[in-house]
Amino acid sequence: MKSKSPPANNISERTYRTKNYIIASGYISDLPVAATNYYYIPEFMTPSRSWQSFLEETGVLLRFTGRFFSQCFRPRYEIAEFLRQCFIIGYRSLPLIGLTAFIMGLVLTMQLRPSLIDYGVESQLPAMVGIAIVREIGPVIVALIFAGKIGSSIGAELGSMKVTEQIDAMEVSGTNPFKYLVVTRVLASTVMLPVLVMLGDAISLYGSFLGVNIRGTTSFDLFWNQVLGNLSFGDVIPAFVKSFFFGFAVGLIGCYRGYYSTKGTEGVGRSANSAVVISSVLIFLIDLVAVQITDILGLN
Amino acid sequence: MLQTINNTRNSPLPDEDNEIIAVEHLYKSFGSNKVLIDFSMLLHKEENIVVLGKSGSGKSVLIKCIIGLVKPDSGTIRVLGQNIPELSMEELDKIRVRIGFLFQSNALYDSMSVRQNLEFPLRRHSIRLRQDEVDTLVMNALEDVGLQHTIDMMPAELSGGMRKRIALARTLILKPDIILYDEPTTGLDPITAKEIIELMIRIQKKYRSASIIISHDMNCVKMASDKVLMLIEGKCYALGTMEELQRSADPKVKKFFE
Amino acid sequence: MGNTSVRNIKLGVFVLAGLLFLIILLYVIGKNQNLFGDNFQLSARFPNVQGLTAGNNIRFSGIQAGTVREITVLNDTTIEVVMLIKSSLKKHIRKNALASIGTDGLVGNKVVNIIPVRGNAATVQDGDILACQETFDTDRLLQKLAKTSEDISDIAADLKITMHRISNSKVIWELLEDKSLPENIRTSATNIQLATAHARDMTHALNLMVTDIKAGKGSLGAFITDTSLAANLNLAIEKIRQVGDEAYELAGNLNMTVGNLYNEVNTGKGPVAALLKDSVMAANIANSLQNIEKGTTSFNELLEAARHNILFRGYFRKQERQKKKAR
Repeated sequence: MKSKSPPANNISERTYRTKNYIIASGYISDLPVAATNYYYIPEFMTPSRSWQSFLEETGVLLRFTGRFFSQCFRPRYEIAEFLRQCFIIGYRSLPLIGLTAFIMGLVLTMQLRPSLIDYGVESQLPAMVGIAIVREIGPVIVALIFAGKIGSSIGAELGSMKVTEQIDAMEVSGTNPFKYLVVTRVLASTVMLPVLVMLGDAISLYGSFLGVNIRGTTSFDLFWNQVLGNLSFGDVIPAFVKSFFFGFAVGLIGCYRGYYSTKGTEGVGRSANSAVVISSVLIFLIDLVAVQITDILGLN
Repeated sequence: MLQTINNTRNSPLPDEDNEIIAVEHLYKSFGSNKVLIDFSMLLHKEENIVVLGKSGSGKSVLIKCIIGLVKPDSGTIRVLGQNIPELSMEELDKIRVRIGFLFQSNALYDSMSVRQNLEFPLRRHSIRLRQDEVDTLVMNALEDVGLQHTIDMMPAELSGGMRKRIALARTLILKPDIILYDEPTTGLDPITAKEIIELMIRIQKKYRSASIIISHDMNCVKMASDKVLMLIEGKCYALGTMEELQRSADPKVKKFFE
Repeated sequence: MGNTSVRNIKLGVFVLAGLLFLIILLYVIGKNQNLFGDNFQLSARFPNVQGLTAGNNIRFSGIQAGTVREITVLNDTTIEVVMLIKSSLKKHIRKNALASIGTDGLVGNKVVNIIPVRGNAATVQDGDILACQETFDTDRLLQKLAKTSEDISDIAADLKITMHRISNSKVIWELLEDKSLPENIRTSATNIQLATAHARDMTHALNLMVTDIKAGKGSLGAFITDTSLAANLNLAIEKIRQVGDEAYELAGNLNMTVGNLYNEVNTGKGPVAALLKDSVMAANIANSLQNIEKGTTSFNELLEAARHNILFRGYFRKQERQKKKAR
């Protein structure tokens, strides 16, 4: 029943201009076997898993990271999708982060007060809370909340896209899914977390100001002067810089777990879960490294 | 007449003009699991081939190899005159404009509306279209599947059959020369399945495209196939019309028609 | 597409707000460290900078005037400290002003104090060198305090032995015919002991705190840099030292008097009757004892006051709590 007539509606006859772009790595099947073929629990949480698989996972993650960097700097740049992700990852996280940061500032202030009264330095409460929030608690708590919200949502989103072949569909539709999905999300979370940390710090300090004023009165000017008078560049800049790394870790792990998600809805759930667990642990590891580096640089 | 091709070593027929897809000596394995072993097949213009085979026999792998989603271990896959495994991503994308792929799970983008889903291949492929052209193509595709009213709905709001039709519309939107269907009727009730098959055939006639259909559904095989290909043990075990295969005495072939 | 632009505007506002906060933070910190704005340089040469580092604050009559820019060693006895001072203070600082290194609070960061001196000197110019003033060092003060309290306790021990001997020698008391005297002496001895114990306690507490805070370093040290509090504390310590000295003196006197008495009784030189009749001697003893009593009372009062000083409040409160628990 072969028809001899020529195809009536051949798209190749149209003059479509091709966009010039090169994609570094080719096929989905190039994915490391370790990641595609069997499922993985966060290895360091389960002692029964061998060291070998831990190292294997680390290797796969590093390859994923390498792939991110090799794709990140080449055209085509997915600007529109990047901005969309910035909006979702950054702006949409603000209410949650704002709320937690506010409560954190308030509670921290109220908890510290009795100890400071014991030492008779109640007047230094704003200074102490300011330093604690800006240096450490702000970046880390915000990053953890961020990991919980964004890490899991990226993990679940990419995981379900993987499972329902949406990633394949993108590739078939002339889109490099790695650029379109992974690069945009990792970059967006890298850039958005520092912004969230700064806003979180500001909201947290406001919470602390209210906390100081629950008992006793301190004018906003005095509070502000005391906080800023005791901060130095060495407090602000390392905290700001490390929050980029926190954001990068959350985005990368979320994408990694989602992108290599295994078949089925259970795999999606596990992707989301392990993304949060691994990125939370990574946040603390990065924090540890960051404090060592700032120490070596003499910024403490 | 039964045409059984065992270990075909001959090159496909030199009918160059009509030949759209020519797969030769294709090997693909995942780890120790050999999925395709020296697989060869031909697809001609406006021809529908239904690929039959057990689950896990490598049917999906075959069409994913054809569209370049899976890289074969060895062998050539000529699609519209170009060898897929050797192409750069850029060249591959040019070829992919002319191939439609209907995924088993529809692969509609959950975060986008139906309109955005349909626009996606138009905007992403290496083609430049004006907004009105895009709108026309989207509306035409939706008309083809009869779902114009869903244009601003999200995929989650649609029923399974509707989603399949939207996915079909997205596959067709670029008016491809070749359509690859990965189990188009799986998970649908018989009535909806029949509707989908009829839709496929209608669209096929309208656009005069060739297609490879992977299916278990005998209804689908009966209605849509010009030829049936039996994929058994990684090879093209048998190729013929439905009637020819039904008359076959080969026990492995017979099993499928019981 | 309108939807997209609304989103982008929201995103823009969001990012700008974050960056604005960061910039304000950095700007204000920079301003506090005199990185921006008009400054001029002054320097001062010290034999010892006591751990002053670049970035420490400069105070002019207690006003934040600038920061230390750099410290260079000129030779083995001279270290030059270059200071960045706000230009607005230029017309107030005169050439005869003295620079001294002090501590911001008792145990806080080091500061350079510029102290105006009376006289009609011209105002400073950019790059002038100020004369320096020997400074008061907390560490040395603490050492002195500890030494004093040790001395007091030694004397108290001596005194105790003497008093024991005197009180055990019934003959003398009978001869003296004054029953209130031994009571007085005993009370005085107890008072001195109590005072010494207090002083030791306090020195210990102070030392402990200084060690703790010094270990805490940097920003943590800032908690204790409340200047008015530190001034109070300095005063208290100075007073303790004074009273300690006084007690030392008084105890010395008493020791001498009692020693004389004891000698006389022991050697039998000068009859006891003569002693009894010597009203001058008796008056002397009574007087000494009264003085001691007065001294120790005021010492105890001072220590009581110190207990209420906020720096020590926590320490003593904890002690009381422990005592209560012990009961």
